[in-house]
This record gives sequence, C-alpha cells and structure tokens, in this order.
Amino acid sequence: MMSYDLPKTSLMAIIEVKNLYKHYPSPDKKGETFAAVNGISLSIDKGEIFGILGPNGAGKTTTLEMLEGLTDIDSGSAVIDGIDVQSNPYKVKQIIGVQLQANEYFESLSISELLILFGNLYGKKIDPENLLEKVNLVDKAKAKPDSLSGGQKQRFSIACALVNDPKVLFLDEPTTGLDPQAKRNLWDLVLNLNSAGMTIVLTTHNMDEAESLCQRIAIMDHGVIVAEDTPQNLILTHAPEPPAAPLHGNIEDVFLALTGHALRD
Amino acid sequence: MCSSPLQVTPYATKMEFRMPTKVQLDLAIVFLKIFLRDRQSIFFSLFFPIIFMTVFGFVNRSGVGAINIGVINESSDPSAIGFIQELIENSVFSVTVGLEDRLRPQLEEGEQTLVIIIPKEFDTTSEGTALRVLVDATQVQQLGLILPVLEQSLVEIEREFRDIEPMFNLVIEDIRARSQNYLDFLLPGLMAFTLMQLSIAGSGFNIVELRRKGILKRLFVTPIEPKDFIVSIVMARMTIVLIQLSVLIAYALLVLDVNIVGSLPSFYLMIIFGTFIFLCLGFCLGSIAKTQQAVMAIGNIVIFPQIFLSGVFYPIESMPEFIQPIAYILPLSFISTSMREIAINGASLMDITPSLIGIAVWFVLSFVLATRLFVWKEVAN
Repeated sequence: MMSYDLPKTSLMAIIEVKNLYKHYPSPDKKGETFAAVNGISLSIDKGEIFGILGPNGAGKTTTLEMLEGLTDIDSGSAVIDGIDVQSNPYKVKQIIGVQLQANEYFESLSISELLILFGNLYGKKIDPENLLEKVNLVDKAKAKPDSLSGGQKQRFSIACALVNDPKVLFLDEPTTGLDPQAKRNLWDLVLNLNSAGMTIVLTTHNMDEAESLCQRIAIMDHGVIVAEDTPQNLILTHAPEPPAAPLHGNIEDVFLALTGHALRD
Repeated sequence: MCSSPLQVTPYATKMEFRMPTKVQLDLAIVFLKIFLRDRQSIFFSLFFPIIFMTVFGFVNRSGVGAINIGVINESSDPSAIGFIQELIENSVFSVTVGLEDRLRPQLEEGEQTLVIIIPKEFDTTSEGTALRVLVDATQVQQLGLILPVLEQSLVEIEREFRDIEPMFNLVIEDIRARSQNYLDFLLPGLMAFTLMQLSIAGSGFNIVELRRKGILKRLFVTPIEPKDFIVSIVMARMTIVLIQLSVLIAYALLVLDVNIVGSLPSFYLMIIFGTFIFLCLGFCLGSIAKTQQAVMAIGNIVIFPQIFLSGVFYPIESMPEFIQPIAYILPLSFISTSMREIAINGASLMDITPSLIGIAVWFVLSFVLATRLFVWKEVAN
C-alpha cells in the first residue's frame, strides 16, 4: 500500500489537488516514460497567494497546465472552486485567469482591441480602459503589443487574464526577465489584486519574490513537492544556521537604493 | 508506469451545422480585421493570378481562330481531300498542306501545333483507318481543345461519304458556333485553383504561425471551443477570399473581356463551397504539421497533384485513362468542373448534379476531418 500525505482539507480551500501524475515519453530512452509530475497533492486557500518554486524541469509549469486544462491529467484529481478540471474543463476556464510564459499576440491589433477580443471569448463586453488602468497601461491603449517593453508586456498579459474577473489567477514566471523596477511594480499589482480577494497561484525562480509575495510556498523538485509551508516556517525549518556575522541586505537592495524604485518603462 | 486514465471526451465536436453564435461572429470580425490589415499578403495574393491571366489573355488573343496544323496527305482517295477541305473551312484551324520533311521541322520549331498524317489506305469504305497525329509536347495543353474538333470533322466527313443522316447536327452546329477561347476555358479553372491556394494558405499556414507564436495556446486557456475557432476563421477567410476572387473576376470580365455565360450567383455558390472545403482541408494540414516547413511540404502534396489532375489547365478527358478515375474525384476537379460548366456552357445547378454530389461529400468530409483533427491539446502545445 502506497502512502502519501493527504492535504489538510480546509473549508476555505479553492483548489484541491490530489495525487496528480503526468508522464511524458522519455527524451533519452525510446519507449520509456518519465514522470514530469509524480503524485503531488495540494490545497490552496481562497484569497491566498501561493507560490510554486523549483529548478527548471521540476514540473511547475506542467502542474499549472494540468490545473488550467491545457494538459491532460494522467491520474489523480484537480478541483477548482468545486469544479472538476478533468470532466468540466470549459467550466473551469470560465473562472480562471491565465498568464502564460510565452506572451505573443496578434500583431496587427492594438492592446485595447486585444482586450475586447479576449472579453468576447468569454462572452463578456469589457471596458478596456478600466482594465488598462488596473495594470497602469492607459496611455498605451492604442499601442501594438510588439511595441511594449518587457514589463509592460507582462502587465498587459495580466490584464488579458483579468477580462473574465477570475476567481483564481495563474501566473507562470511573471517576473522572469524584468528589471527590478518592473518587477517591484508587478509585485504591487499582484498584491493589489490579492487584496481585492483574488486567489493567485504563481511559479517563480525568484526567491525574493516567493518570500515577499507568497503567503505559502511549495518547493518542487523532480515532479514531487519537497516542502510546503509559509515562507517563515520554511526558513525556520530548512535554512542552515546563519553565519556569525551575516551580511546586511543584498546586491538587489544596493541596486534599488542607488537607482530608486521609480518605474523605467 | 503510466496508468491509463479514464478518458472523458469533453472536446468531442458534434457534427452539426447551425447559425454562427455571437462568440463566433465576434471572433470572425476580429480575424477579418487582422487579415485586412495584412495588406502586403493581400496584394501578392492578387498579383500572381492577374499576371497569369494577362499573359494568357495576350497569348490567346493573338492565336484566336488560328491554331496552326499541318496536314500530310499520303492518300489519293477523294475523301482525304474532303477531310482537308473540312479542316480548312473550320475557323479554329489554319491549315498547311505539305510534305513530312517540310512540316516536321515546323512542328519542332513550334510553327505548327500538330501535324496530321493521312495514310495511304485512308478511305470511307475500310473500317477504322488510323490517322497519325504528330504533336509537340509543349503544346499539349491545347490538345484537349483541338482533338474534339478534329474528331468532329472526321465524323462529319464519314457521314457525308457514307450518306448517313447526321443525327446530332444541331448540337454540332452549336459547339462550332461558339468560338473556343482558351482564356474562357482557363478562367474558371484558374479561379478554382486560386481559391484553393488562398484557402489552404489562409487556414493551414496561418494556424501553424499562430501555434509557433503561442497564440493558439493562449486561446486554448479561454473557454472557446475548437469549433468556434474553426467557424470564425472560416467565416473571416471566406470573406477575404470572396473579395480577392471578385477583384480577379472583375479584371477578367472587364479588362480581358472573358465571358461568363451561366449565372453569376451559381458561379459564386461554387466558389463559396470550394473555399469552405479548402479552408477545412487547410485546417487539417495545420493540425497535422507542427512546423512551417512541414506545412509547406504537406501542403504541396495536396496542392500539386490537383494543379495537374483537376482539369484546371486542360480537360481531364485528355489525361491518361488510368489516372482519370482519381482525377475526377479530387475536390478541385468537382469545383473547377462545376465552375467551368457554369461559366462557359451556361449550365444550371441541375445540370451539374453529379459534381454537386461530389462537392457535398467533400464539404461534409473536410469539415468532419477538420473538427476531428483540430484538437486544442494537440495543436496548442
């Protein structure tokens, strides 16, 4: 009999994942498979920012894609807001917002037109200006997505994910490749959305991001969750003893102190 | 090991045709906007067919009523003279009577389209004398037009000499009264061919590009179904293709003076059917091929045989017999045949029922295939 830790079922949970598996054909040996996601269970509470950390190839994106209905679930179950992802993918898609790692769009449309298009896909009439204001892009309303900077593109991607006023927002490495100002600006955006009650699930390589944004963190490696808790508890449990005279702050703090927090878009 | 999951099929697409939904219409309008903003590709899609038609228009104009044929008469029978007389009187041909050593080099140089040799034993009493026809392979596309006329002349001569009452005299007169203009013949086929190319590129090549950019994946995380996506792309592309073809048809009618004898609405109906079929087939290609190179290669496998086998440039009847059964069932054959029947013979929809049945089969087949093959999970990743 195989045993695994059942997630503590919380009354507040909006995402319940049990024993999720995903196998892909092995790139090295023909005819064999490897488990990209190897039996993970998660319970994410309503209104929290939940971070999934892990090195490349740990299975973060695959996990998200299974929750989003992008990838088939081999076995196990995923339920979002009481809706089973496998049997009701289109219903789940109605209540989630997704920002993907790749964020290219139809080149010939302005970002306002694109937002209207995404609204149409959910059968909703939306006010693009309202959404662009949320992500601080009102003055770019007529711009084409190609002309946006990295940070603006990411914020626009989030605006697209907000057209259906989702209950859960999935962000896949939202700050990868951004300069510190743009990164901090995006954090503010995420915190704002969260304070309005939105549940946010994000993956990241950035430890700072996980520490300062997320209420809870799951660390993945080789398709399994190796640790899951609040950032503080994780540090208390897993961080090695600090050296006798710890350095104060880090290079990023120095950079921001010298260059300021103002946005540089 | 990989446990096999219970597969529910939430993505299965039901086969039904109904009015487009609001989402489909909204999406179609956006796609139309996107396509219309791509001015460059619209321009180049029209450029080639216009050049092509113009060149054929000039070639054709200079050659009206003057297909050069040579005749070598080895027979002394009076019927042979009658046959030659018949050919000379036919306005389609310009006849040179001469000896083989003079006419053969002329054929090789292209001065003669073909050379007919009337053998010694030619007369009306013997059964089935073979006429030898020397042709220049480069002129082969005209053969389909010439051979029926030639055959007709022979039948007529035979009747005359054997004193048989011609049974189909009126029909024969009708065929010969209309000047067979190659551009008239070419235009419907060329339109069919152009709509195939525009449609396959418009859906198939487009999808691969959207996949490469990750746009399909982004659409996949929204609640639209593959069917909605297919229907809206088809509607938008259909509009574009109809505009493009209308420009080409207007150019052919007004500038090149081509005739469309039959009803224009019927002609357009065939264009709409054809565009639908090839857009759906394009979706199939775009779903199978994962890269731009692959879609080009597979696209050529679909496009090239149809260029040569679908009677676009010369009639299917003039092809080798073993290939005809295949040629007749190609989608482009049904479309181009119908369009040609309507355009140059003034056929009504009733007259082309067999082709319409073929079109209906391809219509359903291509749509079912497109919706089966275009599965979000497969095409988006």
